Amino acid sequence: MAEERMVKMSLAEKLGYRKGDLKNFVKYIADDPKQACKDFIYGKEHERRNIGDLYIQPTGLYRHREWRGLKDTLYYFNVIWCYNYGMMVADILSAEKPLRFFQGIWRYRWLGQTYIPVLHWFDRGLEGLRGPALRASAWHYRGMVHATIEQFMRMFARDIRFNGKETELWRKTVLHNETVSGSIFYPFRDGGLVDIPLEMIPYFVTCHVNSNTVLHYIDAIQTLGLPADPCPMCQAEAGVGIMDDYPDSAPCIVTSNEACDASVATSIIQDWFLNRPLYAMPQPMRYDDPLVQKRCQEEIEGAWKFVEEQTGVPFSWESFKKYAELQNEQLYFEREKWDVAARTNNYPINGVAQALYRIYYSQYGWNETWQLLDSRVRKIMENCVANQIDTFPKTRHRVIAWSCAPLYYSNWCTWAYNCWGLNVVINMDSLMFDKDIRTDTYEHALEDLGWYNELAPMRAMAVGGHEHIFKLWDYMEQFNCDMVAMYDQLQCKGMQGIKGMFEDEFRRRGIHAFWLPHALPDKRTVSRKEIRDGISGYMINVMHEEPLDPSLLDFDDDLTW
Amino acid sequence: MKLIFKIIRIFAIVYAALFAVFYFDLDGKLLYYVYEPAMCKHYDNIEGRRNIIDIPYEMKDEI
Repeated sequence: MAEERMVKMSLAEKLGYRKGDLKNFVKYIADDPKQACKDFIYGKEHERRNIGDLYIQPTGLYRHREWRGLKDTLYYFNVIWCYNYGMMVADILSAEKPLRFFQGIWRYRWLGQTYIPVLHWFDRGLEGLRGPALRASAWHYRGMVHATIEQFMRMFARDIRFNGKETELWRKTVLHNETVSGSIFYPFRDGGLVDIPLEMIPYFVTCHVNSNTVLHYIDAIQTLGLPADPCPMCQAEAGVGIMDDYPDSAPCIVTSNEACDASVATSIIQDWFLNRPLYAMPQPMRYDDPLVQKRCQEEIEGAWKFVEEQTGVPFSWESFKKYAELQNEQLYFEREKWDVAARTNNYPINGVAQALYRIYYSQYGWNETWQLLDSRVRKIMENCVANQIDTFPKTRHRVIAWSCAPLYYSNWCTWAYNCWGLNVVINMDSLMFDKDIRTDTYEHALEDLGWYNELAPMRAMAVGGHEHIFKLWDYMEQFNCDMVAMYDQLQCKGMQGIKGMFEDEFRRRGIHAFWLPHALPDKRTVSRKEIRDGISGYMINVMHEEPLDPSLLDFDDDLTW
Repeated sequence: MKLIFKIIRIFAIVYAALFAVFYFDLDGKLLYYVYEPAMCKHYDNIEGRRNIIDIPYEMKDEI
């Protein structure tokens, strides 16, 4: 349908030209020059923005980007758009082998198709934001872009495909599953070891930036006979391997069961195509059983021994201690942020920036970029609190988003705020890894690291037992939320099993909750429009509310990145 | 002085041009309509990929 629509569009339409636009613009100025002048300087009020009119349907491109008032538009142009394009180039130039970027882009679909339109990812996530919310959220995006470039440039510098042979850099690198936390490798960092989460950049981040890329990999694995019903995340991760699209950047790999049996199958396929020493470090399903703790700790120690043997980099307690303490500091700031989000209306980070930044940095491990950007966000947040700035003034409901989010539509909460005033204050993935690591003794550190690793995404509050999934009620109260956005990953057998219990609890407790069905990275199963229709249906039929911006109620963005 | 004005003028033109690219989402349009389809065509035709299923899958030594 959307493809047919695209074929019928003229070039002028594709570029965003609409007959009568200029005439309407002149009329708008002539009718009320004073108002037009006010709009130019301060931007239109929320209810008059008509953000939906800016889209070229079904591409999701803009006829023109949003005018947010003089100050915020210039901020967006200078400090977000220009700055981030410039810094992307700077990040590449400051990498180990900058020219490898061109080889990488030529060889790897996940890079070339995904990361060039990255500024559009900013646009989608930051749509409609003003003032401190725009600034703080954008710094989180900047952090993720930097870490992404750092990772793929590291992969390319080590890639045997480009080097033609094993190099010293390659020998001092370890690959690991993206849900094995980077903190596991802290003991080796000061010894020169680099750890690379294998799927984080070729799969996970691509889904957020360009949702089209991953479809190719899902189709690739299904053409080999894999049925379409296992988790599409596992399918896509296996598909990247089948297409031979993982850079060959390390001599060994540490895998995990991520959170489910489909991921175990992915690890087997990875073992097959990587064909090199592999250490499996599974996390137990019933992770808080005291009987499994010792076993988890032994597995971490086993991974350390494996890394030492395979890379020759020795274990260093001092290195571990240093990075674990830095990580703790970052976690303390995260808790401060949660405190502000829970108790005030001054929290300057929107739902999508909060979720993605938190899951990204806690999974990737400590990095000095996070520290630098957190200091900037802290300044903005403290200023908001000191001056009692209501950062999301159109909030009608404070929402907690629970379970695993649709990767192709992580910015749904930006839409939900703009259209309905639904402010997603916190989400389940942000609350993972909430564990500081004691560094007074080796035994304490190991014990805490074991727990930290067990509190990984898709683990603790997804398949880790219903008592953890039901922590929702505590967090709802803690974050002062009055509504739940309940994700429904249609192909996650773990979470599907508990759906009915949630329904019962919502009714029993009298909680307003809407379901968001999705298939994690695969936008073809439930489209973005279907997700929006579900939410709007709930807001109209159950809540009997009127949209803040009606132009966002019905639009086609099926072919959006 | 003349040089300074010349630099300011060039800077102003570049700034205005960049702002036009930004405001009218010309970067997005170029990438969406031209760059991405061309690159996808290229990726579809890459030759010399390993056929993964040709690699024998065997038990490894215990580590």
